[in-house]
Amino acid sequence: MESQRCKGARDLLPDDMERFRQVEDAFRNSCLNWGYREIRTPTLEYIHLFTAAGTLTPAMLGRVYSFLDWDGWGGERVVLRPDGTIPAARLYSENLADQKIARLYYITNVFAFEETGRENREKWQCGVELLGDCGRASDAEVIALALEIAGAMGLAKPELKLSHAGILKALIGELRLDGDSKAALLDDILEGNWQAFAGVKSKNKEVIQAITTLIKLKGKSSGFLANLKAMPAVSKNVRAEIDSFAAVTALLDTMQVSYSIDFTSIRGFEYYTGLCFKITSGGERICSGGRYDNLIGLVGGKDIPACGFAFYLDTVTAIVKPWSQQKAEKTVSVKSTGGSAASFKTAFEAAAAMRKIGLIAELDFCGGQLQARWSVSVSTRPAAFTVIDNYKKTRRKAATIGEVINIIGGFNKLVR
Amino acid sequence: MSGKAMVETRLALPKGQMLNRTSLFLTSIGLGFDNYNSGTRIYRMRSQAMPGLTAKMLNERDIPVQVAVGNYDFGICNSDWLQELLTRYPASRVLKIADLGYDISDIYMACATSSDISARVKTGSTAAWRIVTEYPALAEAAAYKMRLKRYRIFPCWGSTEAYPPENADFSVLRVRNEDALRSLNLKPVRRICGSNACIIANSNSLQSNDFSNLLERFASSASMKNKPWQAQEKAVFAVNNNLARSSRAGDIWLALADGHQQAHTEAFMQKTGIKLEGYSKNDLRRRPSSDIDWLSIKVIRPQDMPQQVANGNFDLAITGRDWLLDHLYQFPSSPVAEMVNLGFGWVRIVAVVSESVPADSIGSLRNLVAAGKIVPLRVATEYINIADKYLRDKHIARYRVIPTWGATEVYLPEDAEMLIENTETGQTLARHKLKIIDTLFESTACLIGNRRSLEERGKKDKINKLISLFREAVNKK
Repeated sequence: MESQRCKGARDLLPDDMERFRQVEDAFRNSCLNWGYREIRTPTLEYIHLFTAAGTLTPAMLGRVYSFLDWDGWGGERVVLRPDGTIPAARLYSENLADQKIARLYYITNVFAFEETGRENREKWQCGVELLGDCGRASDAEVIALALEIAGAMGLAKPELKLSHAGILKALIGELRLDGDSKAALLDDILEGNWQAFAGVKSKNKEVIQAITTLIKLKGKSSGFLANLKAMPAVSKNVRAEIDSFAAVTALLDTMQVSYSIDFTSIRGFEYYTGLCFKITSGGERICSGGRYDNLIGLVGGKDIPACGFAFYLDTVTAIVKPWSQQKAEKTVSVKSTGGSAASFKTAFEAAAAMRKIGLIAELDFCGGQLQARWSVSVSTRPAAFTVIDNYKKTRRKAATIGEVINIIGGFNKLVR
Repeated sequence: MSGKAMVETRLALPKGQMLNRTSLFLTSIGLGFDNYNSGTRIYRMRSQAMPGLTAKMLNERDIPVQVAVGNYDFGICNSDWLQELLTRYPASRVLKIADLGYDISDIYMACATSSDISARVKTGSTAAWRIVTEYPALAEAAAYKMRLKRYRIFPCWGSTEAYPPENADFSVLRVRNEDALRSLNLKPVRRICGSNACIIANSNSLQSNDFSNLLERFASSASMKNKPWQAQEKAVFAVNNNLARSSRAGDIWLALADGHQQAHTEAFMQKTGIKLEGYSKNDLRRRPSSDIDWLSIKVIRPQDMPQQVANGNFDLAITGRDWLLDHLYQFPSSPVAEMVNLGFGWVRIVAVVSESVPADSIGSLRNLVAAGKIVPLRVATEYINIADKYLRDKHIARYRVIPTWGATEVYLPEDAEMLIENTETGQTLARHKLKIIDTLFESTACLIGNRRSLEERGKKDKINKLISLFREAVNKK
C-alpha cells in the first residue's frame, strides 16, 4: 500500500514514544534540579526573526518552511520554527528581560527541509538557555549540565569537543577581505567546508598560516591554547578571544572535565560569538551549544550575554537503550473470564486498586495483550481471582483484591 | 540523419518575445517547425525533419518546471527561469545542456536612481525592505546573502521597474545591461546572475533514452560560422519610468493596467472626464499625470493590483474581479473590496476538460476521481487560489494545482486533466478540443479600493469623489 504519510515526516509509534519520553524525562529532571524552568514558544514565528544577520546561515534559511499567512497581504511571511534558541531569545527579550538571570529549558520540534525525504524534516530538540549570565562560570555550568544530562539519558561514553567562534571570526576579520568575499568565506565555513580557507586570496599570508595550523591540530588542554597565543601573526584581537577561551578551559581542567579542542568540530555557528561545544556518543553528535552574546540584541532586546545548548532527540532516541523491560515488570493485565456485569465491576475495581500502588493495570477483555509480567483473571463467581506470573510461569488463587495485591506486591520489588 | 530510430521526443518551445530567434535557431539547424511563428494559433507541432519529435508552445517561464516534472524531454527558455527554479527547488530533475547566446541579459537587484540605499544597508536598519520581483527565489537568496535583517518579497507578474522608490525599495528584474537599467531610472545594488537563451533537458530522460540524433543537431550549431539567431538585437522600447511630480501626504494613489486591458481602461478613463497624459498606446508612462492635482497614478499589471492595494501602496485600482477574488481567497480578511463594477472586459471563469474525458459536469468528474480513474487530478491555472478553493469546495479527493503563466489550453490532455481558465467566446477552447464542464463566476473590470483608506480623514472625500466620477461614467452610454 502506498503510504499516505508526507515525505520526510515520521510517525512515532508507542515504542518510539517510550524512548522519547524516557530521554525527555532524564533531560527535564536534570534541568529542574539545576533550577531551570520550562518554556514553550509558538510553532509559527515571523521569518524576519531568523533572517537578521548573525542568526541563521543562508543555507539554513534556504531550507525553512515559510509561507504567507491568511492575513499576509503585507508580504511578511511566517515560518515553521527552524531553530529553538532564536525563539527562546525572543521570548526572553519580550517577557523576562528584567530578570538578572534567566535559566530556561524547552523541548520542541524544529522544521527544516531535507531533500531526499529519508531524513526527518521535523526534528525534536531539547535545549537549555542561560541568559544574562556570569561569564566563564556560565560556560562551565552549561557544559557540566549537558554532560550530566547525557549520563542521565543513558548515553555511553559522551565525549566533549570544544571550539571557539570568536577566535575563528577574529581570524577571518584579520584576512581583511572585502564584504562579499568575507561573506562568501563565512558561508563556506558555516557549512563545514574548511578547505575554503585554502582558496582565500589575502595578502595576510601569516594569518592564513595560523588558520591552517589551527584547523589541523587537536588540543587536549589549556596548554594548547597558550601555544596558539604565542604563535606569530596572532593579533591583539585574536589574543583576547584566545584568553576568553582559555579562561573556560582552565575552569574545566580544575573541574576535571575531560575535553578535546577541535576548531573544525562546529558547523552553522552563525549566531555564536564565543565558546562552542559539541558532545558525541559512539561517534554521533548528540548535543551542541555555546555562547551567543549578540543574539538577544539581534532579536530586538538589550545586549545580554547568553549561552546554552540543545540535545538532538532524534539521534539520542536512536542510540539509547530502552527501558521497556522495566515497564513490563510493572504491568498487570486484568481480564474477566465471564460476561456478567458483576465480574466487569470487580475487574475495574481490581485494576483501580493496583494503579493506586503504582502498577500499570491494563484491562484485557478481548485478549491479545502482550508484554505484561502479571495476568489477573476475575471469574464469574464473585471474589475469585487467578494471579499468573508470566515470567515465572506460576499460578495462584486469591479470594480478595487485597490478596491479589499482596501476591503481586510481594513478588514485585519495582512497585513504589 | 543516421539510420537510428528516433525515440519519441517532447520539446517545449517558448511563446512571446523569444519566439522569433528560437524559430531562427531551429530552422538554422534544420529543425524548423512549420507553425512555429508569432502569428500561429496552433500550439502543438510535429517535426517534418525528425520523426518522433513533437513540440508544444508554452510561456517561457513555465518551461523549466514542465521539463523538470518530465512532461517534456527538452526545452528552450531563458536561463534565469531555470536558475529561479533551481534556487527554489535544488533537487529539480532539470539541467542546462547548452547556451544559445541570444536574449543576453542580466538579473539585477536595483533601486531607484534617487535612493540612497547603501547607507541603510550598512547601518543594518530594522525597517522591512520591500522587494518586488518576478524572481522571488533569486530575490530571497540575494536577501539572505546580503544579510538583510527584515524584508518582504512581493512576487509580481511584471512591470516591477515601476515600483521603486514610492512602493518598493528594490526591484529584482531582468534587463539587457546596466545601461538599460539606468534608462529605467534605476541603479544596480547587486548583479544576481546573467541570463541567455539556453537548451534544458530533463535529467531522467537523458539518463534513460538515446537522444543522440537530436543532441548532435543542437551541437552542430556551435560550429556554424554564421549564427543569425545571435545577430545584434534591436534595442527594446523602454516604457518611460521617470518620476512624476513629488506626491504629497493625502494624495490618492490609483493603479491602472498595462498589457491588453490598457486600451479598454484608457477608453473608460476618457468617459470619467479625468484627463490623463501618458496613458495611451503611443505615449505610455509608468506615472501618467492627470488634471486632478491630488491624484497620483501608476501603471502596473492588473494581476498584482489587489495585493498592492491591500498593503497600502495604492488606494484604488482598476483590475478584473477574477484577480480580486484570487486575492481574497488567499487573504480572506484583506481590506480590499470592489467599489464599482465598471462593466467592461467581460469574461467567465470556467472549469475545462478535454473533449475525450467522459464527464460533462464537475459532479461526474468528481466521481471519476473518486473511482480512481483520474488520480491525482492535475489542474493547470493562472488562478491558483480560485482553483484551490473551487476544488476544495467541490470535494475533489485528490488534486494538484499546477500554476502557469498563461497559454494554459496547451496543457490538456497530456500535462494536465483540467483547467481553470477565463474565456470570452469559448472559441479558443473549442479549437483545442476542450469542453467547459462548469462556470465558476463571471468577471468584469472593477474599481477596487482599500477600505482602510476610506477611514482616513484626508482621503475619504477624495476617494468618494473618484467613486462617483466612475459611477457616472459607467452609467453613460
